[in-house]
Amino acid sequence: MIDFQMLIEYYGESPFLIKLAWITSLVLSVSIILLTVYLKFARTLLRKKEVDSLKFRAAYEALLIEYIYSGDEVSIISDNQKRIIDELKPQVLDRSKRKVIISVLYKLMNQVSGEVTDAVKILFKESGLINYALKKTQSKKWHVKAKGIGEFTRFKIESVQDEIKKHLTHPLREVRKEAHFYFVNLFHFEGLTFLDTIKTPLSEWDQIQMLEILQRFTNQEICDIKPWLKSSNDTVILFALKLAKVYNQYEVKDELMDLLSHKNKHIRIQVIEVLTHLYGIEAKDVLKANFTELSLEEQISFFGLLEKLVVPDDEPFVEKHLFHKDFEIQLLALKILKSINIDKYMGLSELPLHEKSPAMLKLTNTN
Amino acid sequence: MNRKKIVLAEDNSTLSLLLKFRLEKEGYELYMAVNGKEAVALIEEHTPDLILTDIMMPFISGLEVISHVRNKLELEIPIIVFSSAGQEEMVLKAFDLGANDFMGKPFSPNELVIRVKRQLS
Repeated sequence: MIDFQMLIEYYGESPFLIKLAWITSLVLSVSIILLTVYLKFARTLLRKKEVDSLKFRAAYEALLIEYIYSGDEVSIISDNQKRIIDELKPQVLDRSKRKVIISVLYKLMNQVSGEVTDAVKILFKESGLINYALKKTQSKKWHVKAKGIGEFTRFKIESVQDEIKKHLTHPLREVRKEAHFYFVNLFHFEGLTFLDTIKTPLSEWDQIQMLEILQRFTNQEICDIKPWLKSSNDTVILFALKLAKVYNQYEVKDELMDLLSHKNKHIRIQVIEVLTHLYGIEAKDVLKANFTELSLEEQISFFGLLEKLVVPDDEPFVEKHLFHKDFEIQLLALKILKSINIDKYMGLSELPLHEKSPAMLKLTNTN
Repeated sequence: MNRKKIVLAEDNSTLSLLLKFRLEKEGYELYMAVNGKEAVALIEEHTPDLILTDIMMPFISGLEVISHVRNKLELEIPIIVFSSAGQEEMVLKAFDLGANDFMGKPFSPNELVIRVKRQLS
């Protein structure tokens, strides 16, 4: 008691800063104790949740396998499958259990194909999971919306296409991207019709992903890409150019020729590359005639085309550019000359050093 | 009748269960492993007639399992590997190490059964 009184007196007589230090340490000590108790409680709760979720996952996995293999050839859903669906319906109402079910189904869809995926698709519809995915697509939060569309893509639900169509022009790229992937994944080339009207840009990464999805399908019969090559959206043109290259679209050469005069330099460069791939010999004379008006990148691309499609008649043009201001063009011109006239190429090595171009010097040093 | 033994090494529990169910239905005896380490232990213990293994697994990968079977245990058991998209180089390595067949995910369990039967015939 005396000690306690002494402490109070000591505190009362202490200067302000010491008092402040005491109060701060007291507040901090209490906070640490409270936080420790809270963390301990939260950890216990999370562990319990995890254990419950694992238990439910194990039970659900077994039920899912039973469901998949209890189908018969008489009806779309067998009686046993109906029973399992009825058993699952109340579980779907619980948010955490629904999360587990979706994650198991997601993983399974990534690993298997064929008849199993058809059974999973029916389960997704009949158990009521489809309604929750639909609710997600109507959410105000963009990431929930994107997730909902992703679920429809993963479980190949075609019946909601009108709902997904609304998101093709969503202001946020992530949502739009998911809607694009939905149509490409489910309807393949036919699903690309959104390119007819799309005004928003398609990122390079999205284009690559769409190509990757398209290449996964066995039916590689491509639709008409001509309208997209005439699109007012530059990224649609760039995507159509990729399609033309990957699917060897020789029939669009006229459209490609028109694009050589497109206002976007990047498109013009890509067109030259696609024409190189498609042996667009017609482009050679057009580009040769306008060579000086082309940008440096286009000139380099054109020399790339020439490297592949060169004929002996091109020799004077190539020779003219052996001393081009750009090193890459000098090098390409030398390579092309070597392929059409080896004697003239060898003759260049006789030139005095000060008359040689940097590319010639480089080749001399390399040899 | 003496049932043929298969060791299945796959870390995805749902897929494992699905394949177990399907292959047991065909009359095979399944030993399940969730990683390469368990697979090696099961192979050494049971000397199965066929091994099904995923390439990417915790602790010991599918490639190491194949190498262990072919080089250390010197067994000629048929091995079928599962691979995901983008693991083409790994599949080539698996064949170099002595795998007999591969299936790219996603795959059809029915097709797997056909391949298993072909390897065991």
